[in-house]
Amino acid sequence: MTSVSTSRTAMPIDEFAPSAPARQKAAARPLRWLWLAVAAAVLVYLPFVLHDRAILGYRLSNIQLLNVGLAQLNLTLIAVLGAVSLNYLTGCAGLVSIGHAAFFAVGAMAAAATGAQLGLPFLVSLVAALIAGAAAGVLAGLPSLRVRGLYFVLSTMALHFIVVFAFSEYQYAAFDVFGISYPQPAIGPFALDSALKWYFFLLPIVVLCCLACNYSLKHREGRALLAVRDNEQAASSSGIDVRVLRLKAFAFSSAIASLAGALQAYYLTTVSTELYSLNLAISFIAMIIIGGMGSIAGGVVGALVWLLLPSVLTGFAGELGAAGGGLAKIFVEHRPQVVNLIFGSLVAVLLIFAPGGIVGAARKLTKLVRPGAEA
Amino acid sequence: MLVQFLLTGLALGSIYGLVALGFAVIYKAERVFNFAQGILMVCGAYLAYTATTQLGLPFPVAVIVIIAAAALLGIVIQFLFIRPLSGQPLLPVIMITIALSIILKALIEILYGVQPKPLATSLPTGVLILGDVRLSQLNLTAAVVSWVCMGVFFAFFRFTKAGLLMRATADSHEAAILSGVNVNRINAGAWAIGTILAVIGGVFLGQIQLASTELEHIGLLALPAVVIGGLQSIPGAIVGGILVGVIEQLASGYISPKARDVFIYIPLLIMLLVRPWGLFGNRELGRV
Repeated sequence: MTSVSTSRTAMPIDEFAPSAPARQKAAARPLRWLWLAVAAAVLVYLPFVLHDRAILGYRLSNIQLLNVGLAQLNLTLIAVLGAVSLNYLTGCAGLVSIGHAAFFAVGAMAAAATGAQLGLPFLVSLVAALIAGAAAGVLAGLPSLRVRGLYFVLSTMALHFIVVFAFSEYQYAAFDVFGISYPQPAIGPFALDSALKWYFFLLPIVVLCCLACNYSLKHREGRALLAVRDNEQAASSSGIDVRVLRLKAFAFSSAIASLAGALQAYYLTTVSTELYSLNLAISFIAMIIIGGMGSIAGGVVGALVWLLLPSVLTGFAGELGAAGGGLAKIFVEHRPQVVNLIFGSLVAVLLIFAPGGIVGAARKLTKLVRPGAEA
Repeated sequence: MLVQFLLTGLALGSIYGLVALGFAVIYKAERVFNFAQGILMVCGAYLAYTATTQLGLPFPVAVIVIIAAAALLGIVIQFLFIRPLSGQPLLPVIMITIALSIILKALIEILYGVQPKPLATSLPTGVLILGDVRLSQLNLTAAVVSWVCMGVFFAFFRFTKAGLLMRATADSHEAAILSGVNVNRINAGAWAIGTILAVIGGVFLGQIQLASTELEHIGLLALPAVVIGGLQSIPGAIVGGILVGVIEQLASGYISPKARDVFIYIPLLIMLLVRPWGLFGNRELGRV
């Protein structure tokens, strides 16, 4: 984690004094735009590939598509929102939280109250979820004014149980045991009634949230956050109001998480209190550890791995079938357990051997291959 | 009814106190906040299932086997997972214990299946009737065994050389290293003790209910117990455990079983805000 932080905090200098790497960066800019264009093209074309199960008219088998469907991709996009916002809070602001699932629940509740009960339009209920999330985030951040480290982690855990209890009371009082059902979301006359439409609705939101995090981290407040994470005393003696900054970070992060919760609830059409278990909160922490703490890419990569790896593995186990022998048999019989075993071991191995996660390891590799290249 | 709830709460709370004590021992020695304590407890229930039902060992032998296996498990965990991360910041250490709990849970479910297993130990199962209070003998035995274990470990920390070295290491790692204490061995010992305590709690809970990975949630109640009592304090863990047990019984008896978690975690939150060092802990000096 420290290696990431030093490279990040070292960055401000090149804005004021154009040093050699900065000039290189300027020269590399056209190439960067090219990469961005390619990435955008892939992101736009990908859903059509998954929808038609074919690329440019050429049919692909299920395993060539890694057994991934469009619905999973949409859920992954929603999880990316959760992982990126948690990474902003934990990786960048240094506030470890195991209450992230609670904000998903807050978003789902806000959406249920406005969308399902009052019958307000979809976009209005999303805005309501954002506001409710920010407010809940400020409340959840309040203990950070008083307690540090481990005690703060526990306060977020306590918060998780309190919110989940509130959710279940709300669900049983206003709906029924089967959960809260949400109306068909629509933007004006345009109904979000297929996975493809959802994808093109979610993608801009995810990109926007990532850009917002990125913008924040490149500017004054985000840098102040990183400074507070690295050394609280030094940061506060340089005139940073640590308390306000932390609350702002919490509000920002939980607003995104709450938005993601509302989107997830609408996407799944019915959610019940069991969804918001402590395991969900833990899975977000696992995502940012797998991806890499303290960077936006880390959150994205972590969410991709966490949500897509299980079905990729299932695909390959199915393909191996009888040829795979005992291992494939264990996998088929105990699929969720084997997936958990793999994830648990992955997290442990990464923590011990690559604390920077996949993104951190990739950066190290790039540095090895091209010394002096921009990390 | 009140007396009934209080007594059942006291008995269950003694088990929580035992698990929480194991937790506190590990925390004191290594500053590791062990989220795997719940699943270690579950391991106890399944170890008992293997020893008594699968291997068919006589009960006294089974107890020795279970305790030896628990100690070994603790030492292996410390060696494989915790030692490589010593000196790391808070999150990686917490997260590796969470990863550990995910791994252990998956392994248990692969080895034993997801169906809960009934335990067939020769612990007493009758009911003791005192006036209008019904007390299960199992709960009573659990409480007594818990108190004996607590006494034994209290004596161990107070009167033996190994206990003294453990306390010294907990007080100051550096000073202990300088005085020639093998800190790694001490830490492994702390994990062995912590695991044994969790496993004993697990045997009782497995017998009271059924052996299943669902017990992990009950084991995790050791967390609020230990914080309410005071993270640094061993009597605190025990008192915290009993408090949590009593609160749990009162809340699920008078309000609803769903309300249990809230009535435990709200006091935890208040405690964190008002007195983060717990009922019995020493105040840690605040930083800027």
